[in-house]
Amino acid sequence: MSLNHSLKLEIPFQTAAQANIAKQVLLPDPILKPQDFQVDYTTTDNVLVVGFQSIDDRVLRVGVSSVIDSIKTIVETIDELGPETKELQSL
Amino acid sequence: MVNLNTVRPKNGRDYYIALGLEGSANKLGVGVLKHPLLPQHEDGDLSFNCHAEILANVRDTYITPPGEGFLPRDTARHHKNWCIRLIKQALKEASIVNPSLDIDVICFTKGPGMGAPLHSVAIAARTCSLLWEVPLIGVNHCVGHIEMGREITKAVNPVVLYVSGGNTQVIAYSEKRYRIFGETLDIAIGNCLDRFARTLRIPNAPSPGYNIEQLAKRCANKETLLELPYTVKGMDLSMSGILAYIDSLAKDLFRGNKKNKTLFDPKTGEQKVTVEDLCYSLQENLFAMLVEITERAMAHVNSNQVLIVGGVGCNVRLQEMMQMMCEDRANGQVHATDERFCIDNGVMIAQAGLLQYRMGDVVKDLKETVVTQKFRTDEVYVAWRE
Repeated sequence: MSLNHSLKLEIPFQTAAQANIAKQVLLPDPILKPQDFQVDYTTTDNVLVVGFQSIDDRVLRVGVSSVIDSIKTIVETIDELGPETKELQSL
Repeated sequence: MVNLNTVRPKNGRDYYIALGLEGSANKLGVGVLKHPLLPQHEDGDLSFNCHAEILANVRDTYITPPGEGFLPRDTARHHKNWCIRLIKQALKEASIVNPSLDIDVICFTKGPGMGAPLHSVAIAARTCSLLWEVPLIGVNHCVGHIEMGREITKAVNPVVLYVSGGNTQVIAYSEKRYRIFGETLDIAIGNCLDRFARTLRIPNAPSPGYNIEQLAKRCANKETLLELPYTVKGMDLSMSGILAYIDSLAKDLFRGNKKNKTLFDPKTGEQKVTVEDLCYSLQENLFAMLVEITERAMAHVNSNQVLIVGGVGCNVRLQEMMQMMCEDRANGQVHATDERFCIDNGVMIAQAGLLQYRMGDVVKDLKETVVTQKFRTDEVYVAWRE
């Protein structure tokens, strides 16, 4: 079966450095079933581009939602704990 | 020669600061730990005495209703929701204003544990590391327990009994590894207690078996023990059969199945056994098995110290029984910690991670930070001991 179900997500960050951090954090984790599902991460300027390919809609949906969950954690970490955060300085 | 000062603290400080992140099961813990830079650590086997100072130790537990266990996906969601908040709280308690300058290393649990919860904490750890440009280190959860136990109790070279919801192991140090002398062949002791608690519909918080311990204390008939399978297999244990058997007893008790002669008097139909009796007998039986294999390991490695770690390690009755065994041995000593350190926490990950870091171990490629559900205690090279 071919990986003919695909989705492309574009997530804009505040800076290119942040987008790059997100890419580096997401890259290391292996895909459990590479024959059914694949992901590639790239960045263009401040945008993180995530491309998904999968054998069917169901596998695609499950895979995409897990990556989105991870991205949410990354965004929250950058927001709350990044060096730009003024709040941390005043804690 | 062990030189714990191989890597110096950052920015010319005379102390190290480590941030520890733990999330291998239903507890999410964040800890901040400080080690002073001491000249005696240049040369000497002193990893049990780092003069560690705990600057913060915060924890949030994912609690499920009585009768239910925690599932990986829901636990991972809990950790994702709370992780950043807990890190902020820990940094605040530790008065860390600028993590990039003030933290030497970020330590996180690499395994063993549940995949999804481990992964969600690892994502946060990687992001913090890149944001703050602070090195990362992956820690074996069991080694975290051992090193924290040694630091708190100052036990130099104990036989370690590691008993928790996911693990049951008897461990002793030899030739740069924590070797496993005996372990469970099926389920962990905490899992056995937790699942019995689920049958009884009592909660599992704060630590595995805690509520069973409370019920067992109220057992009125401590003289007669229910006969349960005693399943020590050489140096190993098996607990699933015991669980299945006591579960069936509990179910018969609730159903009022008078045919069960163990529970009811066959003539009068009078109930002979209470839930408290079941809890008491289960504990006595399981702990006796643990004490037996621990004693054998002590004899084998010629040690007179036992260190009990892991969530079930806060059980006072287990500590008592171990004490009785040790009193019969020359200079026998039992070391145990309280719930702050027995139950999974971030500080223990910081302690083990900081020891690794001080010996020059550090993540060079983020590929090394992929979490793993199976990660045996003896896979870790213990560079910080002679």
